Amino acid sequence: MYGFEAMTFNIHGGYLEAIVRGHRSGLLTAADYNNLCQCETLDDIKMHLSATEYGPYLQNEPSPLHTTTIVEKCTVKLVDEYKHMLCQATEPLSTFLEYITYGHMIDNVVLIVTGTLHERDVQELLEKCHPLGMFDSIATLAVAQNMRELYRLVLVDTPLAPYFSERITSEDLDDMNIEIMRNTLYKAYLEDFYQFCQKLGGATSEIMSDLLAFEADRRAVNITINSIGTELTRDDRKKLYSNFGLLYPYGHEELAVCEDIDQVRGVMEKYPPYQSIFAKMSYGESQMLDKAFYEEEVKRLCLAFEQQFHYGVFFAYMRLREQEIRNLMWISECVAQNQKSRVHDSVVFIF
Amino acid sequence: MEDQDKARTCENQLEEEQLDEEENVVTFLDSMDAYLTLIDSLSSTLRQGWLELASARHSMGASRISSSLFDLKLHSAATSLRVTEDDVDSKMNQPHFTLCKWASSDNGKCCSGEAKFDGDELQKKSVSSQLRYRGTSQFDEPQEIQEKSPTCKSPTSNGSPLSLDSPVQKQRHKSLSVFGTLVSPKLRAAQFSFETALETIVEIANMRSSMLSAFDQVQKDIESISTGEQ
Repeated sequence: MYGFEAMTFNIHGGYLEAIVRGHRSGLLTAADYNNLCQCETLDDIKMHLSATEYGPYLQNEPSPLHTTTIVEKCTVKLVDEYKHMLCQATEPLSTFLEYITYGHMIDNVVLIVTGTLHERDVQELLEKCHPLGMFDSIATLAVAQNMRELYRLVLVDTPLAPYFSERITSEDLDDMNIEIMRNTLYKAYLEDFYQFCQKLGGATSEIMSDLLAFEADRRAVNITINSIGTELTRDDRKKLYSNFGLLYPYGHEELAVCEDIDQVRGVMEKYPPYQSIFAKMSYGESQMLDKAFYEEEVKRLCLAFEQQFHYGVFFAYMRLREQEIRNLMWISECVAQNQKSRVHDSVVFIF
Repeated sequence: MEDQDKARTCENQLEEEQLDEEENVVTFLDSMDAYLTLIDSLSSTLRQGWLELASARHSMGASRISSSLFDLKLHSAATSLRVTEDDVDSKMNQPHFTLCKWASSDNGKCCSGEAKFDGDELQKKSVSSQLRYRGTSQFDEPQEIQEKSPTCKSPTSNGSPLSLDSPVQKQRHKSLSVFGTLVSPKLRAAQFSFETALETIVEIANMRSSMLSAFDQVQKDIESISTGEQ
């Protein structure tokens, strides 16, 4: 019953909620970002990060640093924290935590399959995979020639199996089929995660419904914009939208027929939560849309911490850390390319 | 009377030679100015391209935009460069570079209307008239290239869709498909910037060729003057 989580939540989830709230207080602040934005070299960035929780992960890295090294080490920290929480968690929290990583798993599957299609070395591809999305038989993906083999040989024993079974075909894997597979898997994953959170009920259901609905809506907008001018038909585009969210179903009907960014704007401005996002952009512009969506997402994720005794804080923390790593990646790129005037184009302050 | 005519003819010849020499110097300085402007333009275009690529990686994720996704299968080049010898005033040969962009993989022919762009127009501008590009914006050159191309359209200027019917656009999408078929507009903008940079490089090569040719001419004039003085 919603409202009575305080009576029982701490029995199994109290320790980990305290842990994740402690981790949250280690997120970089606006003062940290201001210092980082003034760095002249990547070694300066490393020096500033040595005073943060990333210090131990970067201290042994030799100069000259590369932007990918900074991102990799920050990601290792996130993975360590996640694994600690996962090994301490009991059901249903452990399943909830695993759900958070399925998106990365899908990205890794697509990376391996695409790289193999382009005749790349499997070991090289495995090094590029996100550590949160690794599973035991991932290297075997390189053997599959079509989707049926992909499912039968590898994915049937992974958590992605339920998302795959509806769309198995014997079509060869090419760039378009892989893209459709990626988005179809992600759609099925989001819907499954949404259903799981609904079953949990209580504050978790309420908070996660809002966060996942926003994710589904953002995906719909990105799919629409990215598919403008491509071979993807309107029907195929509509099939990639999730079956929940604020835009479902009428917004999806309108997005499916959009041919340019202004038409997308016209659809989204009918929905009050997204009016403020598109109000920040001028007509015809889409460059700042990503940042506007990230800012809105960060706002919603921070609000998740305002309430106790729910699992949404774990999801929010993981997403906030990923946003922080994106910020560090962008700052590092601007410093490395000597384009510090553009550093505020994509940095999203969390606090 | 005849002596006066001869003297007048000699004076006229000397004046003409002097005018030719001055014209050669002006030609050389104009071509050098255009060359330096193009270098500056190339630098800013490449900076923009690299930042757009970083922006696309930030938007789509590092795993989606990575060198490990490049296609290692054998395929024909989408863009090629042709080098020809150009006769300048029937006296010397000057190398001339022509870019053939977005060749169709079926027949190898250039499918781009802008493929014949070879810097001739810029060269003519620098050679002819007395007006020089002093104080023009460093961003003029990429805009000029855009204006010359009938099929070229900036993907970020007005957000209007890229027509898939154009074979050039099809080839552009095909080359980006290594990163997936649904890519961010930022990646397309980066592709466009690097494409513009490639055109600028070819212009620079042609401009350098004409600059060196003008320099040779000036050298010869100096030598002839010093020989005449001796």
